[in-house]
Amino acid sequence: MSTTAAEKAYLEQIREAASYIAGRLGDRKPQFGLVLGSGLGDLAEQVAEAVSIAYDDIPHFPVSTVEGHAGRFVVGLLEGKPVIVMQGRFHYYEGYSMKKVVFPIYVMRELGVRSLVITNAAGGMNRGFKAGDLMLISDHINMTGGNPLIGPNHPELGVRFPDMSEAYSRAYRKLAKELAAEVKGEDGEALKLQEGVYCGISGPAYMTPAELTMLARLGGDAVGMSTVGEVVAASHGGMKVLGISCITDMAIGEELEPLTHEQVVAVANRTKPKFQALVKAFVREAAE
Amino acid sequence: MAEAQQTWAQRIDEAKEYIWSRTKVRPQVGLILGSGLGVLADSIEEAEVIPYGDIPHFPVSTVEGHAGELVVGKVGGRPVLMMKGRFHMYEGYAGQMVSFPVRVMKAIGVETLLVTNAAGGINEEYAPGDLMLIRDHLNMTNNNPLIGPNEPDLGVRFPDMSEAYSKKLRALARETAESRGIQLREGVYVGLMGPSYETPAEIRMFRMLGGDAVGMSTVPEVIVARHAGLQVLGISCITNMAAGILDQPLNHQEVMDTAERVKSTFLQLVKDLIPKL
Repeated sequence: MSTTAAEKAYLEQIREAASYIAGRLGDRKPQFGLVLGSGLGDLAEQVAEAVSIAYDDIPHFPVSTVEGHAGRFVVGLLEGKPVIVMQGRFHYYEGYSMKKVVFPIYVMRELGVRSLVITNAAGGMNRGFKAGDLMLISDHINMTGGNPLIGPNHPELGVRFPDMSEAYSRAYRKLAKELAAEVKGEDGEALKLQEGVYCGISGPAYMTPAELTMLARLGGDAVGMSTVGEVVAASHGGMKVLGISCITDMAIGEELEPLTHEQVVAVANRTKPKFQALVKAFVREAAE
Repeated sequence: MAEAQQTWAQRIDEAKEYIWSRTKVRPQVGLILGSGLGVLADSIEEAEVIPYGDIPHFPVSTVEGHAGELVVGKVGGRPVLMMKGRFHMYEGYAGQMVSFPVRVMKAIGVETLLVTNAAGGINEEYAPGDLMLIRDHLNMTNNNPLIGPNEPDLGVRFPDMSEAYSKKLRALARETAESRGIQLREGVYVGLMGPSYETPAEIRMFRMLGGDAVGMSTVPEVIVARHAGLQVLGISCITNMAAGILDQPLNHQEVMDTAERVKSTFLQLVKDLIPKL
């Protein structure tokens, strides 16, 4: 299959979207990209000298449909570092193709971003976790059934067969662990930072108990409906990634209780201060 | 008739007629060779080379290191049809297109299919450069080339997969390798969609599930071959260790380099095998 018109259009769409955003930014040059998950979007309010760009206004951007996700970029300074924050993201379960889901990742790359902090709300499958914990993502298992790189490859974006052996930067994980020791929540309690493997599923149905038991046996520590496609694209684009899951509920197959999206958002809200403190410390200290 | 309205059987027939018009050889053995092994084409006698682009309904390959032509001729006196370059689902083809050439092989009289591929070693006893006889596979592509209405002329609705890789042909391959002093592993091939390589966590999972090697091809081709009633022999060249086993990144160049290094051994085995299949 030769490169089709639709595929060429993908690259051009990325460039047009990036160029529109760049036009709104003046001389701001974001270094860090932040993708904020369910209930974690408030961090965007702390960006200084902020320019806000609604996804609706950006050429070729899809619009997020899920509750609890706003739909805009906030660009400015966080802890003095130039950042571009995605407040709201796109999910495979909304019906977008994986290529659409990861479109903003390539747009941020086009704007010069080479470091990403990707966050999400996830169910904890590891019995050592509890709701309200934060988990550093050490690695992932792609159980979505999709991959954003299927189709002809664009060498301008990355290689045909990207390596995934260190999709979540070791150096970034080490730094985050060091910084976590300093982080305290509003209640004065020290942050407990877990570390584990994130299983990405398509959703939108939550997992059955049998499925959760299976995923836990297969080596998963947390399960969620985002992140995996974005991290595949980020690896393809040569970007370094820090991944943080907020464990909003426990998802142990044998002990599963009914769950609503409202509960997820409530726990994410409770965990917010520690989460925000950790991300800010990371952005302050991390090198590109 | 517009292509969309044609049955698969009609498209297969047109491809078959075209190939028959180009050569008098009537192949009995089909060869689908993976990354780096296309060089076998050079040792095919009475070779007729047919670019995929010339064959009605054939897709065209895009990946580096994969040419795109059928070579029909003889190996050790045995009439063969070789695909030089194959199609992968990660290129964006549907499983039905990836396996279309297998349907055409069946139509032109092929009875046995030899598939080879480059694969990452999951089994920690393996080393890059090992050859692995495929005993069985795990379909982890999230797909199946037979989804859709079944055309009974092509095969049954629910094809058996209990012996996808012929026991008899495996025994033959073991004997042949032994007589040449070639060490042959035997294991389970995990077929994935790709194109990103696997993460270490995924590789640990596949090991737990019984996989010995992992790759991005073969599975749809073998499912269709079995649907069509072909006997299958599969051999993987372990070109690298899968993610997380060694503390180093994976790259396509390593795959090509290892394939190059073991090429002569692999070719010898394949050439010995073909007349016996």
